Amino acid sequence: MSVMRLGHINVRVLDIEEAVDHYVNVNGMIQTHVDPLGNVYLKCWDEWDKYSVVLSPSDQAGMNHIAYKVKSDADLDMYKTRITEAGIDVEEVPAGTLEFVGRALKFKVPSEHEMYLYAEKEYVGTSVGTTNPDPWPDDLKGVGAHWVDHALLMCPFDPETGVNTVAEVTSFMVDVLDFYLVEQVMVGPDGDIQLATWLSCSNTPHDIAFVGGPVSGLHHLAYFLDSWNDVLKAADIMSKKRVKIDVTPQRHGITRGYTIYYFDPSGNRNETFAGLGYLAQPDRPVTTWTEDQLGAGIFYHTRELVESFTTVYT
Amino acid sequence: MHTIFVKSEEEEYQCREDQHLLVAMKAVGKSCIPSGCHGGGCGVCKVRILAGDVERKVMSRKHVSEEEQQQGISLACRVFPRSTVTLEIYESTTHQ
Repeated sequence: MSVMRLGHINVRVLDIEEAVDHYVNVNGMIQTHVDPLGNVYLKCWDEWDKYSVVLSPSDQAGMNHIAYKVKSDADLDMYKTRITEAGIDVEEVPAGTLEFVGRALKFKVPSEHEMYLYAEKEYVGTSVGTTNPDPWPDDLKGVGAHWVDHALLMCPFDPETGVNTVAEVTSFMVDVLDFYLVEQVMVGPDGDIQLATWLSCSNTPHDIAFVGGPVSGLHHLAYFLDSWNDVLKAADIMSKKRVKIDVTPQRHGITRGYTIYYFDPSGNRNETFAGLGYLAQPDRPVTTWTEDQLGAGIFYHTRELVESFTTVYT
Repeated sequence: MHTIFVKSEEEEYQCREDQHLLVAMKAVGKSCIPSGCHGGGCGVCKVRILAGDVERKVMSRKHVSEEEQQQGISLACRVFPRSTVTLEIYESTTHQ
């Protein structure tokens, strides 16, 4: 496997000042750059590359693209060949097309989301450094998230007309980009329709997830926190700052994560996520959730799916 | 404090000028308008304002076009009342 991790996500926002205030003072990110077009680049304190979130002023919310970092430059040539052989158009963009990033591959996955692969991004270091570091830095803001952990993307899904881009994009990520399937939700009379998948390219339960919905979109981007206590405190901070919380602290059955779902000021869903659940491995047996237990899979305590989970997204 | 009449649901509640329509509705446990992201992004709270003065913050063009906005159509989470407001639910779901 040579895709290492989620590198960054580019999110559209309706009001850039409100958005920066949220991502800095609620999520605890650090602004590292503003480009001439007004896009704002941010990183978390525990991340070492230049940025992991790009906020783009727009007249609508949602995601412009998601980018994954591969291990070496040569991997880009390998993936360019494999993506092309899979029948997907791939464009190689020169270094600097994405700010502070080396050459990159740009393509659309079968769920219509734009994705980049790159091997190099400017190194700036974490806030605690690499020599005798303290466990956390002073002056953390908001929830003080460690890093951007994963994203969940909504994928066109309509089994009555035979559309299932969840299954298509999952196959693409596994067969072409070397991710492996960790958990899935299977629905339909025979339980053979893949409604949702969680995939890893590392040792964590998910580096990306896909859920079926009416149209392609962004369900959420998630930030890693250390512990359940941090999740509780994060919810306190959100209430103090009048952040719209979608789902208060709770456990996911799927991935075993501790979660809060909340929204940025443009309505893009964020998550604070703690608890690395288990050691994900390519040979770990895939966990399957059935349609009748979907509620418990998503929200383990209430065992009820809230309507907003599949209808409210950008 | 202004009264918000949700005509299509035959419900009403009170809303302050510094609250958007959904914050005040949820604070008193009502659900007469669909509630989503509260950021003008997801589009589930689309309403048509039939009467009353309001201020509106920017909302996603994906869900409310300029033409619709001129006809009084809004996302409720972007609307702040300046008088008694009468409205109806425009559509109950997004992504259509």
